[in-house]
Amino acid sequence: MKAMRTNGEIRIGFYICHCGTNIAGMVDVKEVAQYIATLPGVVVSRDYRYMCSDPGQALIQQDIQEHNLNRIIVASCSPLLHEQTFRSAAEKGGLNPFYMQMVNIREHDSWVHEDRVAATQKAKDLSRAAIQRVFFHKPLERKRVPVNPDVLIVGGGIAGIHSALTLANAGKHVYLVEREPSIGGHMAMFDKTFPTLDCAACILTPKMTQVKAHPNITLWTYSEVMAVDGFVGNFKVTVKRKPRYIREDLCVGCLECIEACVYKDARFPDEFNLGLGKRKPVYMPFPQAVPKVVVIDPETCIQFKSGKCKQTCVEVCDDRNAIDFEQKEEIREIEVGTIIIATGFQTFDARRIPYYGYSIYPNVFTALEVERLINSAGPTGGEVVLRDGRKPEKVAIVHCVGSRDENTNRWCSRVCCMYSLKLAHLIKEHTDAEIYNFYIDIRAPGKSMEEFYNRVAEEGVHLIRGKVADIYPDPSVPNNGRLIVQAEDTLIGKILRIPVDMVVLSVGLEPRSDAQEVRRLFNITCSTEGFFLERHPKLAPVNTFTDGIFLAGCCQGPKDIPDTVAQAGAAAAEALALIDTGYVELEPNTAYIVEEDCSGCKSCIPLCPYTAISYLEDKKKAYINEALCKGCGVCVAACPSGSIKQNLFEDEEIYSEIEGVLAYA
Amino acid sequence: MVMTHEAIRSVCDITLETLTGIPEGRNVLTCIQCGMCAGTCPYGEYMEYPPRKIIAMLRAGLIEEVFHSDSLLNCVACYSCMAKCPRGIRLTEVLLPLVKERVFEHLPEVPRELQTALQNTLRYGNPQGLSPAKRAEWIKTAGVPIRILSQNPEPVDVLWFVECYTSYHPRGQDNSRAVAKLFHALGVDFAILGNEERCAGECARLVGETGLFDTLRERNMGVFRKYRFHQIVTSGAHAYDAFKYIYPCYGFDYPLEHITTFFAKHLEALKPLLTKKLNYKVTYHDSCCLGRHNGFYEEPRALLQAIPGVKLVEMTHNRISSLCCGGGGGGMWLDTYYKSRGMERLSDRRVKEAIQTGADVLAVSCPYEVSRFEDALKLAGYDDRMVVRDVVELLAESLGGD
Repeated sequence: MKAMRTNGEIRIGFYICHCGTNIAGMVDVKEVAQYIATLPGVVVSRDYRYMCSDPGQALIQQDIQEHNLNRIIVASCSPLLHEQTFRSAAEKGGLNPFYMQMVNIREHDSWVHEDRVAATQKAKDLSRAAIQRVFFHKPLERKRVPVNPDVLIVGGGIAGIHSALTLANAGKHVYLVEREPSIGGHMAMFDKTFPTLDCAACILTPKMTQVKAHPNITLWTYSEVMAVDGFVGNFKVTVKRKPRYIREDLCVGCLECIEACVYKDARFPDEFNLGLGKRKPVYMPFPQAVPKVVVIDPETCIQFKSGKCKQTCVEVCDDRNAIDFEQKEEIREIEVGTIIIATGFQTFDARRIPYYGYSIYPNVFTALEVERLINSAGPTGGEVVLRDGRKPEKVAIVHCVGSRDENTNRWCSRVCCMYSLKLAHLIKEHTDAEIYNFYIDIRAPGKSMEEFYNRVAEEGVHLIRGKVADIYPDPSVPNNGRLIVQAEDTLIGKILRIPVDMVVLSVGLEPRSDAQEVRRLFNITCSTEGFFLERHPKLAPVNTFTDGIFLAGCCQGPKDIPDTVAQAGAAAAEALALIDTGYVELEPNTAYIVEEDCSGCKSCIPLCPYTAISYLEDKKKAYINEALCKGCGVCVAACPSGSIKQNLFEDEEIYSEIEGVLAYA
Repeated sequence: MVMTHEAIRSVCDITLETLTGIPEGRNVLTCIQCGMCAGTCPYGEYMEYPPRKIIAMLRAGLIEEVFHSDSLLNCVACYSCMAKCPRGIRLTEVLLPLVKERVFEHLPEVPRELQTALQNTLRYGNPQGLSPAKRAEWIKTAGVPIRILSQNPEPVDVLWFVECYTSYHPRGQDNSRAVAKLFHALGVDFAILGNEERCAGECARLVGETGLFDTLRERNMGVFRKYRFHQIVTSGAHAYDAFKYIYPCYGFDYPLEHITTFFAKHLEALKPLLTKKLNYKVTYHDSCCLGRHNGFYEEPRALLQAIPGVKLVEMTHNRISSLCCGGGGGGMWLDTYYKSRGMERLSDRRVKEAIQTGADVLAVSCPYEVSRFEDALKLAGYDDRMVVRDVVELLAESLGGD
């Protein structure tokens, strides 16, 4: 072993954990402890059943006092689990916590080997490496940075609305940014909600108006986040406010401009009603829209197309002067400490399954379209009718469209069974039609769900267990729009061909098509199916891998309204916890620049995945923002002049560790 | 759509007993019993054991019972169940052939027409029972010179595997004459195996006669190895499937095309040659092998649309939903058997949709379909208003020049 450049005498305490039989079952822990005791610098070497237990930790503290230890090594599980535990133990014993080093002999050794002798040898090698490394450890300090108490919420569906109100009611200032002209999201499109059948608008509208009226909420609709900089507690966000050609502060929502528009009839597809209804170039997205401000669509407005409109809308708006054809896109810069992403979902595009005939046969609808038909504020005033206006007498509801299928989306979309049963009930109520629900399995977990299933079954809905295989025009009555739905009734083993007037496709939920762009914008991750990934599926369900950014609602995965609201509340609580702590502590394993060695070549700057490195023009040197640095080491390895170093990963620490692991013993 | 576009080498030596030992087989354990397979099966109502139930019986250890039912003879290997299976279970490719093999062993009596076709194929290398010495007879009527490798074994670019119906059946020969003409027009360096060629055996395998398939496969592989060529192009949609998915288990590794995809790849060179206007309203029937099994939906349509004057119309069931002609998996020789059980001929069902389009031409791409649909149109009394043509026949007709 080479001579040590260290300050004073190094006194090491070594502890090897049995972890019950997890480690001791494969590694001879006593032999390892005996061997380590023979190494230079080691003062104490012990094995113990559970190092993470209170007595285990007390043992470390006691030894520090009694034996005047100044380095601690714990050979046990992954540092992901207990590094914090043992650092605290060292700290309580009076040591700088970064004098503690862990050796992973469970995940890296006992769990993955079958030869006890070799596993024991490996435990010795790994432990010896740590012994050699800790000689060079330095005391390090965690830095604290303050947390800006303002919060950004992206997405104004029920998730974003609930998070915003929770935070605002707690006295925090919230920016709620919504892409569409009104908040409300998908929930605003629904008629009634399962399993209680309360009207979606009746429970949602009060929350929407509260958002608008709340003094702590800045509501920016028709707006999008363009850029996010900074880090937990200190984000800088750029928001684009798209022009709606209406002065939001002056419009009173009287709708007179719509009446006065030179187009006498609404003739353009109405987005909110999924094209089932029509609107004019100037329109209110839906009656309960918040803010209650109209929008002008420049794609269809004559003034924008030809510049020669009579501008009857401006005339009728009169001295309110709310219409502004010259309005431009605005860019706003805001600073927030935490961000909640609540960007929601999109429904599966049923055209991807050609044999279900969506957009081929007019009487095939998606479930969301039928929600609009049933809704009394919808395009038909609440009449469930076919595209030619007739009332259906037989309706098939096809479950699992695009879900649970290797060919489309593999996951269960979780809400479709219940909404399909709800639609069965509502369509029957509105039309008295015969309803056929084709399902694979009815998934009705949760409060009152099974009871609702029971209720719909009792109402006489035909529940057929079989995935629909084909939908095609009834050849016996060509051209009258009637369709045949073909499936095996798997419970009786017969092939059914049921003639129906209307088919409702229960389309699944999937990530929004721009989820990958949003992911990059906020530097978060997606799971394989494309929903945003939570930090831990059970224990950190609303956190992301980026500190200070939280998830709420269906952008994280399909869920119903109660679960969405619960998650939105949880995300708000996580943000509040950060805000009320007032600061965040940063891990000290960051990179730093030895300025006199830096040549100012800038090669490190584009390599940094966290944009933590900038260039100081005055000094002609690179500068690393410690708060942004995650300690990945890319710049350290890349620096041509060797001027970048990293705390806890200094060259001599790493080389000694390597020598230790490779030394023959 | 479940399409892997690759050979299933791991299933080469698989049996029902070892099925769950490989990934392609293990996923039968994931079946959710949704009934998609039975619901989409063209003979679903006649299936005592649709794939769903076969899997349930297999998992319950009761598969033996399935061997004693002859309902799997109703499977015409149309790939519909496999293409739509939400669990991606390789039914038509992997599971069903294994079960069919055992069903075949247990059949008290093989339907006569099928028995004859299989015996003929064993004895003569073609199901019609015609002399193998006359396999290449048709080239005398081709109107263009055609090289036979045994007579001139020089290396060649394209080895054209003609197949049975296209060698012997009068309407199949129309297809072959058209291909020869197109090859010449494009200047393709090609040759055929002539009387050395034998049936590729795909239908034998898919009806459960694995032994016969093995005999044919060994014979053909031996002949392939004698010659040097760059690629194999076949007129048989079923031969294409056998070569692509099963022969590779036994060393077949030649680049492969079906004539339809071959000409689609040469479309730019072909287009200027298609000078004769054909004022036909054409509807295209997606063959099961090329369509559902391989995803070649657009290639034949692109060829048809390249012909001046052709107007393409679609049937209700097209592409992945196409209705099978009933000729696959041995169905070609089970018409009498199906009829005796009161089952509708699938080709009859298919031409009803073709007729509804009002087309003059029903275009096809699999040699079985020509005779099947011509029969069905005759039965429907519609043969005076609609003709059946292979895509290559229409292409050759458009070449003009004669």
